[in-house]
Amino acid sequence: MSVSIPLPRTPPIAAPPGRKLPPVALGGLAVAAMFGAWWAVTASGRIPADLLPGPGAVLAAFLDIVRHGYRGTSLGENIAATLARCMAGFGLAVVLGVPLGLWMGLRQAPRAAANWVVQFMRPLPPLSYMILLILWLGTGNASKAALLFLTAFPIIASAAMAGVRQVKTSRMQAAQALGATDAQVLRFVVLPSAAPMIFTGLSIALAAAFSTVVSAELIASTDGLGWMVIAASRFLRTDIVILAILILGLIGVALAAALRAVDRRVVHWRGRD
Amino acid sequence: MRGRSISAWAITALAVAFVAAAWVGATDGGLVNDLFLPTPADLWSAAVDLWQNGYKSASLPAHVGFSLMRVLAGFGTGAAAGTLLGLAMGMAPRIDALAAPFVEFLRPLPQPAYLVLLILWLGIGEMPKIVMLFLAALPVSAVAARDGVRSVSVERVHAARSLGASRLQVFAFVVLPSAAPEIITGARLAIGIVYATLIAAEIIAGSNGLGWMILDAGRFLRSDYVFVGIILIGLMGLALDGTLVLVERRLVHWAGR
Repeated sequence: MSVSIPLPRTPPIAAPPGRKLPPVALGGLAVAAMFGAWWAVTASGRIPADLLPGPGAVLAAFLDIVRHGYRGTSLGENIAATLARCMAGFGLAVVLGVPLGLWMGLRQAPRAAANWVVQFMRPLPPLSYMILLILWLGTGNASKAALLFLTAFPIIASAAMAGVRQVKTSRMQAAQALGATDAQVLRFVVLPSAAPMIFTGLSIALAAAFSTVVSAELIASTDGLGWMVIAASRFLRTDIVILAILILGLIGVALAAALRAVDRRVVHWRGRD
Repeated sequence: MRGRSISAWAITALAVAFVAAAWVGATDGGLVNDLFLPTPADLWSAAVDLWQNGYKSASLPAHVGFSLMRVLAGFGTGAAAGTLLGLAMGMAPRIDALAAPFVEFLRPLPQPAYLVLLILWLGIGEMPKIVMLFLAALPVSAVAARDGVRSVSVERVHAARSLGASRLQVFAFVVLPSAAPEIITGARLAIGIVYATLIAAEIIAGSNGLGWMILDAGRFLRSDYVFVGIILIGLMGLALDGTLVLVERRLVHWAGR
């Protein structure tokens, strides 16, 4: 038996999670309750199925599309089209944005020459210049790749530049004093210190590119998940709309989780500087 | 912050001058059709024309006003609800466990995808757009507020508790001030997302506002109007973010200390 001492109760922040149910179970329960409510509301027949089909109808639509595809394209093709566009623009932005950002962080001349463009582009909603890109490059994949590149590039370049600029000068000087070459300073001092910020930038840029690619597909496309949403909505196939939204949400969650996992592996020293 | 030397300014000025010269050379020199890229003079006269005559259904300030009203309505309600939810999630692990799956699902979901569904449910008026912007701001603000509460150091809470502070007092005088900088950072992130989403929404399903204006001008190959619209959208975005930076400086002047 412990002696009771009149200590203040544990503050709410340090309070342990519910003892009876672990958080995951509680979260699962909430999701199950949401699906239950969805089923109950639609099964009652009060809401027209055109507006809100039940979970069963969405599942049926899923199975149907898996077997027969949607209007000549399979579900896999549409998912692949969206992801391929997203990754093409994002990948190009990584390949060009990281080196340019590093260079802009290390040297004043490239920073002075390019930073104003990057800082002007970064807050601009990408869809605003999509119209111009369509005028210039047509409605095909070229304008979408350019759009996604321009969405991700300023975010990545800014992050890489900011990452380099917050490297402590004393560290770089210490390495130089010990005889490190410029390349060695970059490889062993600058990159490790800048990496956490670069990876934060990459995850923000990927999320922005993913959102933008779907918007672009809603506006002008003949395949992809965004196209599925808009095409199905025209025929009031709300079951397919909801299905596509659920798939998009799951892809978004998976992309975020994948980047977090890469982040943990690659920059495992984050926060221990 | 490292200061910028004279030469840095000179390089920036040179780069700006180079881009401007390339623009003039390409358009006035006849390298590109002015259907695709207006000349500086065309751009100016388009801006004057839009200012004086408006664009189709409404004046230019009215289009700006439509967009601004939607952003503020969606952001205001979404950020307020998200912050309250996030504070509750930070304070109570059970609420966090219940709400986290929905917040985590909603956050990376491209908002225009569910705009289609909202239009189906709520009609084609302002409601679906504002609800979409509400749903865009909510998870961002909720995560920021939750992380802000979680980052409060336990020692501070213990110190306040041992000095006899009630739970409410701890919340009002310890947790909230410590979480405020992250809440405001979240608000800046949220307004950026709301704004980008709004432009997308006006392009997908609008009949006024700046996003609709550039879409409509693009259909008629009026790239001069499109450019004026893009510049206006950029300036309005900067103004929205600048306002929140001012709020940040006034409200959480203790941030970083």
